[in-house]
This record gives sequence, structure tokens and C-alpha cells, in this order.
Amino acid sequence: MDFKLPENTTMIADTARRYLKDNYSFDTYIAQLNESNHLEANRWQAMNDLGWFGLPFAESVGGYGGSLLDVCAIVQELGAALCLDPFVDLIVSPGKLLEFANTPTSLALLDRIIAGEARVACGLYDRHAGYHVLNPSLRLNGERLSGQKHVVSDGGVADAVLVSAMSGDELVIVALPFDACDVERYRLLDGSRAASLTLDDVLITDEMVLCRGDAAKQAVSAWFDYLCALDCARMYGACREVYQATLEYARTRKQFGRTIGSFQVIQHYLVDAFIDLQQLESMLLMVSVKGESANVGERGRATAAAKAYYANRAVGITQQGIQIHGGVGVTEELNIGHYFRLVTHASLSHGDREHHMSRFIQAGEKQNEVV
Amino acid sequence: MNLDFSNDEKEFRKSIRQWMKENVPDDIRRCTARGAMPDKNMQQRWERLLGSQGWLTSTWPEQFGGPGWSATQRYIFDQERASAGAPPTSPFGVAMVGPVLYTFGSEAQKERWLPGIQRGETLWCQGYSEPNAGSDLASLKTRATRNGDHYLVNGQKIWTTQAHWADMMFCLVRTDSTVKQQQGISFLLIDMKTPGLEVRPIYSIDGHHHLNEVYFTDVKVPVENLVGQEGMGWTIAKFLLTHERTTIAGVADIHYEINRLKSAIDALPTETDKQLAVRRLAGLEVDLMALEYTNFRTVAATDEGKPFGPESSGLKIKGTELQQRVSQAMVEIGGLMSLPWDNEEPIGEQIFNQASRRYNFLRACTIYGGSNEIQKNVLAKMLLGL
Repeated sequence: MDFKLPENTTMIADTARRYLKDNYSFDTYIAQLNESNHLEANRWQAMNDLGWFGLPFAESVGGYGGSLLDVCAIVQELGAALCLDPFVDLIVSPGKLLEFANTPTSLALLDRIIAGEARVACGLYDRHAGYHVLNPSLRLNGERLSGQKHVVSDGGVADAVLVSAMSGDELVIVALPFDACDVERYRLLDGSRAASLTLDDVLITDEMVLCRGDAAKQAVSAWFDYLCALDCARMYGACREVYQATLEYARTRKQFGRTIGSFQVIQHYLVDAFIDLQQLESMLLMVSVKGESANVGERGRATAAAKAYYANRAVGITQQGIQIHGGVGVTEELNIGHYFRLVTHASLSHGDREHHMSRFIQAGEKQNEVV
Repeated sequence: MNLDFSNDEKEFRKSIRQWMKENVPDDIRRCTARGAMPDKNMQQRWERLLGSQGWLTSTWPEQFGGPGWSATQRYIFDQERASAGAPPTSPFGVAMVGPVLYTFGSEAQKERWLPGIQRGETLWCQGYSEPNAGSDLASLKTRATRNGDHYLVNGQKIWTTQAHWADMMFCLVRTDSTVKQQQGISFLLIDMKTPGLEVRPIYSIDGHHHLNEVYFTDVKVPVENLVGQEGMGWTIAKFLLTHERTTIAGVADIHYEINRLKSAIDALPTETDKQLAVRRLAGLEVDLMALEYTNFRTVAATDEGKPFGPESSGLKIKGTELQQRVSQAMVEIGGLMSLPWDNEEPIGEQIFNQASRRYNFLRACTIYGGSNEIQKNVLAKMLLGL
């Protein structure tokens, strides 16, 4: 086994860290939090110039052939910077779904995403189906699509959406313009922008259906696992910052005439966080490789375990970070509480802890069947 | 990045698996499968068997008789050992005094003691803790006074695991009480048959006798049994804290225990009982995966010649916590079946019959080898700079 990051991945991570340090401060984040449009033209162009738009996709479909590990390296830094630029929502998430769908129409749309010309979001969730992405409540009856999509993350700017729906027993993925839907926009827990879409007998032509049946299932399932891994990367970046900031705070904050880091109970909390962070890093490395494994069973088991573990321990680190900071930890003016919201958010997107525990159990049963 | 074992490592695993299948004695396998602890005879037979293959001291450098395995091979060996239902080997000779001797010992000491450890013939115990020196080990009071060609040792050790089995003890003693506590400690090898040395049993809450008190009254220890110089005892003790800890988390044995528990779920009374047990086990398995991948990282780092230092304390802390949680889950999932204490025939699944003893036994694992709280103090100081 070898846990060293490839040189290329290290370079991507370093570049991302430097770029965000120079271009995305806590103040930038606070300002963006108050915007309803999260697509800031200069930074968007800068990300494009850095090659991030093509990185997640295979060379055969017009991308630069980056691995999930590479994309995780970027997303980790985005999490560490609290960055709300919709790189995942408008590039990676729709792009990977289109790549996995792998049809001429989907790849043509992917081309436009890589070129930075499309504003496409993914609408794979609704409150009725919850996290069960293979069984959405949206219905395609003949040519008519009806129902709802919730928490469609889009940076507040998407003009098109890829939605999943059931057509009889068959899963379909459909691309349609936002203006075919009734749209309600809002902010999410982590500060990002999203929308609820209501579709009322929207006319769907054949060319709007990107794929269906087993192909659609495989695409959505691969997309889900990929996004789970990115959630972990984002949470890891945030936890890393919370741990560092909290350690620094414990070294400098004085009460009773001494630094609070001199108290044993605080030391033990911080050691717990250190050990948890070490294990979170191990799980991230694991899921960054297995999250795009060709072995579907292994892939699902890995992402389920990682997300379930993160929903427990990553959330724990940010909770403890607030506790050690005391009163200032619960204020909007300090970054710690914002990291807590980010991590909580990421622990609830693409499956919460119990959802992933169930997946993990099912994956184990399947594993036993094979044996 | 590569999360797979190499083809050579897979071949190695195959050969070890085959050997285990053919060589782990049935009575030992059955004992482990019941959740019981091996007795002295089983333990020693198993260690001698490994010794005869040259595998008992797998962590030792080749020049001192190790098999020349990589950390990955040692890890694989440990996995195969545990999944074959064989017990872990006793750490005192192989993992503790052995490395001390080949690092700090004289040529004569190496020649005299290392072969017996390698072959599994000499059983060792560790004389560290005292009634008033537990976590605060440096305050130990057992005294060794130089008297010509020997020391006279007086005092008392406690929590001495397997002292009643052991041929030899390695012992921290105070040789100088005029200097700073840590500097007045020396490392002595003591023959357990020496007159004046008395071993008294302590029964622990699992109902068994593993622990002892050891009393020393004018125990004569030849000067050649001093390891290193007088006053080096603390340095040697600290050296052991960072020596080869790639299997310290007990991952292989936790896997074995979880699999044992899985195999018994069908025996639970209702579907709800089964579902809750499955859910609880899955939580433990996820935590085990996080521990295991951290362990893999330490193994890979060791093979690259960059072994983890104090970071590996995290493995000890998380590993022991998980061992306790698994043993508790076993008792609680067994429920009523876990209550009988000394019956031969289980009232339900066999594995629950000894589960409460194991659960009781494992309360010690977050205490021994430096309590988890002490480990955290050390980490806070050494890694976090607090």
C-alpha cells in the first residue's frame, strides 16, 4: 500500500490553497453570503484559467483526466476557505452526471460546461424520496413531467437543470430549462444557494431525455458516490481549519491567569480532535480512491462508511471547536460557527448518517452473498 | 496512492493462511472461538510453534534473528493469525525486553537471553507499576542497592501480568534517590526463582488470575543483569513507548470479534433484536475501518522508513476503546444469554457464554500500558505543544 499523494495531486492542492489564500478571505465569504448570485465573474474565470472546469472529466470526453483524488484536493481547500463559489454545484456535479450518462446529448452539454458556457444544476432530490436517488417522486407520464424537486443547489444562477424522474418503473434523467418550472430560490445551511422546482405537466421532448433505465441508474449511482466523496473532502478541509484555529486559541486565550491549553480537560479534548482528524484523513484517502472504483459494491460500501463516519466525527470536531472557543464560538463574526454549519450541511447532503449506515449494511450483505 | 496489497504480499498472505490452517492447534482455536483466554500451556505451545518457524520475533531485525519481514508482511501475518483463531503472543519478551536487549544490552546479555525469547522458551513479565506508582511511574520506590557483585532488591511491584507463569522479570528499580526521580531509575533482569521473591495472585473481575503482586525482600540480582548503565532505566522505558507499534491497535483481533458476533445474530429472539444488532455492529465496523486505514498508513510509513512517532498513541487509544465497545456490544446483544457465568453448556449461542468475562477483562485495556489519559497527556505535550 502507498498513501503518498501523486505529485500532480499535491501540485493541484498547493495551487488551490494559494489561489484561495490570495483571493478568498473570510470577508469575501461574508460578503458572498449576503448575495443571491454566487457566480462572481472574476473568480469564475480564474477557476477556469486554473483548469478546474476540465479537471474532473476524462480526456475522452474533453476533460483533463483528473482523478477523484485530484478533485477532492480542490474541494478540501474550498471547504477550508469556506468558499461558496459554485464549482461543485455548476461544474463537477452536473458534469459528472453527464459524463456517467455518456450519451451524445449529455456529452455535448458536458462540452459546454467544460468550456464555462453553461449554467446547469442537478436536481436529483426531493423531500418525498429523501436520499433515495434511484426512486425520485417526479413522474414522467408520456410526454408530461410533473412533481417537485427540492434543494437544487445552483449558486443562485442556473438556467438549466438535470432532473431525475420515474417513467413507469424506469429511472430517467431529463435536461430542462429552469423557466419550464415554478422556481423558489433560497439559501441553505452552509450559505450556498438553491432552489425548489415545481413542475406541472411540463412538455418533454425525446431529445430532453438524456438516458433511462439501467443506464440512468448506473449514472445516478456513480454520481451519488462521487458526490459523497466530495462531501468528505469538503468536511475534512473545514475540520482541519477548525482544529488548527482551536489549538491556536487554546495556546493563547488566558483565563485564571494561564492559557486554557494548560488545563488537562482542554488538552484531552484537543488530543481527541487530533486523533479524530487523523482518522478522518485516513477515511478521506480511502474514499478518494474507492469512490470511483469500477467495483460498484466496493465503491458503495466505501462511500457509505466514509459519509457515516464523517457525519459522526467531523461534526464532532466542529462542535467541540465551538465549545472550546466558548461564547465567541457561537457568533456570526467568528469563522468557527460557519465551519460548523458547513460541516453539518455536508453531513446531511447526499445522505445522512443513518442513510449511509443502511447502505453500509446492505453492501455488507451483498458482499456476503458473493462469498 | 495505492490501497491494494502487492502480488507478492498476496502470495505471502496465502502461504501464511495455509500454514495457519494446518498448524493452529484445535484446542487453541476452539478456546479463542469460545471467547476464552488460553492457559499457560496453550500460550506456550503456540509461541514455541511460532518460534520454531522463526516467526515469534517477527518484529526483530534480521541480525538478531528476525525473519526480515516488512511492516506490511507483519501486518498481514497478524491478520491471518487472528482470523485463524490463534491468540496474540505475549508482549513482554518479544516486544519489550527483546528490543531493549538488542538495543541497550551487552553482547553477553544478548547471547544469554535473546535465543530463549526467539524460541518461546523463556517467559517474561514486566515489573513496572507499584502500589504508589501507577500512572506516575517515575515515582517508583523499589530499591536496588549495590553490594559487591550483586544488587539487593527490596520493595513491591503490582499488576504484574503473568508473573506466576514467568521465568524472568525485567524490572525498573531505584538505584539512586539523590538525583531527579527519572535519573535514579535502572533496568534490571531478575530471575523469578531467586530467594526473597514472592508472587501473590490478584484475581481480576473476569474471574481469572492474570495479575499479581510481587514482593522483594533482599533479592540478590547479579550485577551483570543490569541493562545499560545505572540511571538509564527511564530512557529505556521511554524507548519502548515508540518501538514498533504497527499492531498496537488490535485491528486484526477486533475483526475476529466482530465476525464472531455477526455469526450469532441469527440466534437472537426477534427480527427487531436482529436489526438493532446489525445496526450496532455496522457502527462498530465503520469505526474499525477508520482505525484500520489509519493503521495501514502507519504500516506503509514504517515500510518507507518513516515510522510514526507519538502519533501512534492514537492507535492505542482508539483501538482499546473499540475493543471495549465490541465486547460491550457482545454482552448487550446477548442479553439474557450473557448472564450465566460458570456453566459448561451455554443457554444460547456459545459466544455469549463467555462474553461477560471478556467484557470484564477488557476494562483493563484502556488502563494498561499507560492509561489512555496518560497517553493523551503525552500527546498534548509532544505533538500539540500544550
